[in-house]
Amino acid sequence: MTAVTVPVATRLEARGLVREFAGGAGVHGVDLTVEPGEIHAIVGLNGAGKTTLMRLLLGMLRPTAGSVCIDGIEIARGAASRWSRVGQLVEHPLAYAELDGRSNLIVAARLHGAERRAAGALVDRAIAEFDLGRYASVRASRLSLGNRQRLGLAAALQHDPALIVLDEPTNALDPAGVILLREALLRRAGADAGILVSSHHLDEVARIADRITVVNAGRTIGSLDPGGVDLERAFFAMLLDDDRARDRADDPAGDREREAAA
Amino acid sequence: MTAGFGTAITVEARKAAASRVMASITVILLVGVALLALGMLIGAGSGDEQLLAKLGPLARLGGWVGLVGVVSQITSAGGLLAFGVALSWLFGREFADGTIGGLFALPVRRSTIALAKLAVYVVWAAGVAVLLTAVVAILGLAFGYGATDPSGVVELLRIPVLVVLTALIAVPAAWIATLGRGLLPGIAATVVLLVLAQVMAVVGIGAWVPIVAPALLAIDPAAVPLVSLAIVPSVPVAFGALAALAWSRLQLDR
Repeated sequence: MTAVTVPVATRLEARGLVREFAGGAGVHGVDLTVEPGEIHAIVGLNGAGKTTLMRLLLGMLRPTAGSVCIDGIEIARGAASRWSRVGQLVEHPLAYAELDGRSNLIVAARLHGAERRAAGALVDRAIAEFDLGRYASVRASRLSLGNRQRLGLAAALQHDPALIVLDEPTNALDPAGVILLREALLRRAGADAGILVSSHHLDEVARIADRITVVNAGRTIGSLDPGGVDLERAFFAMLLDDDRARDRADDPAGDREREAAA
Repeated sequence: MTAGFGTAITVEARKAAASRVMASITVILLVGVALLALGMLIGAGSGDEQLLAKLGPLARLGGWVGLVGVVSQITSAGGLLAFGVALSWLFGREFADGTIGGLFALPVRRSTIALAKLAVYVVWAAGVAVLLTAVVAILGLAFGYGATDPSGVVELLRIPVLVVLTALIAVPAAWIATLGRGLLPGIAATVVLLVLAQVMAVVGIGAWVPIVAPALLAIDPAAVPLVSLAIVPSVPVAFGALAALAWSRLQLDR
């Protein structure tokens, strides 16, 4: 008997993404993939375009050029139901101030397509996984920023999405929350989810990422080896090279003058 | 669509029921209208000619007609403001609280969520209509109109009609709150609607203008043909569709 292997589609694939804002900010032609079982981290300084990129990947912004496919289907086409396989947290957690922790998770589970009964079971599991038992009956308005973030992460991950997109997920988390998140992501990657995370924290990224892509001035400029020894030095060297290359491109005459002066 | 709409209704109803904003608006509207009406009834009962002159012709009517007339005038203005604030909160809070980002990348479409918000709003407004009618009935009975004016009790039926029509003409606030990405633009739109409706109604024009008809109904019911009330739902239909379209086409680009 011959074993049949079913090809697994790339979880996320962006090609030539462009979205520019007044003043030159935005994303200027980004290609990016996330494979099943892979944790792909994007790192960059504030304003590098990480959040804009994630918004484009999730349909929060429409690109002026380029395309985004999830599981091989372009996001502008296809049924709305395909989004039930996606979990995301970009900037603010989905935590309504007037609802308690449990109700917020129920709302998120229902919005991600879970039926009423299934939602209850998902939420029980998420409360245990993210250690939210103490806050299950506390209104989100009374939660600390870190606990709101933890609640938002649980809301984004509890339905076991096949594609996870998280923007700076460790923001405001305490060390225990960071470890919970790390374990939750590794578990899901182990179950073939494709995961894209953005971060400033190179140490944290190096612990979990299979691939690290550096973003600068709205472009991907290279990758870092998660097992590398001095990630910070390599990161800044890459940014410096890119900034210099762009300066030269923008002002070739000034570059010749600088070289002459040197 | 149907399954998504059911889910969106459940979610929006849960949020509205837990919200202190919606509960506060309900209480302020009911208590505010009751206290103002009570004050006017006591003033009218005092027989003070100067006060009666200030209160206008409604105060002299007495009985259910006078009470319902007073309540209608207060509701057509104060109610519109309350409904506009409620809609501004229902739609604008997602932007103000930053929760709008969580409403992307979902199997429930954003336009469906917007329509569910409107559906929950209409059900809430119908509840307010019933409660306000009950409050006015209690007020009238407390003043003895049950015995002195038993046939006039039918006037009470004007209140739920007016409340629902007033709620329907506030729907543009939902669209403006979406375009303006917050509560304040919706509230500002409500104030503009309120001024337009009241001024045109006082001047006596606009029975055929849907946003004016409810205010005119409160001031001078005889001046408003039944058919002109029937076109009031065109306001929520048109502006509800615009709000749903705005949610569907939404981008987080500001």
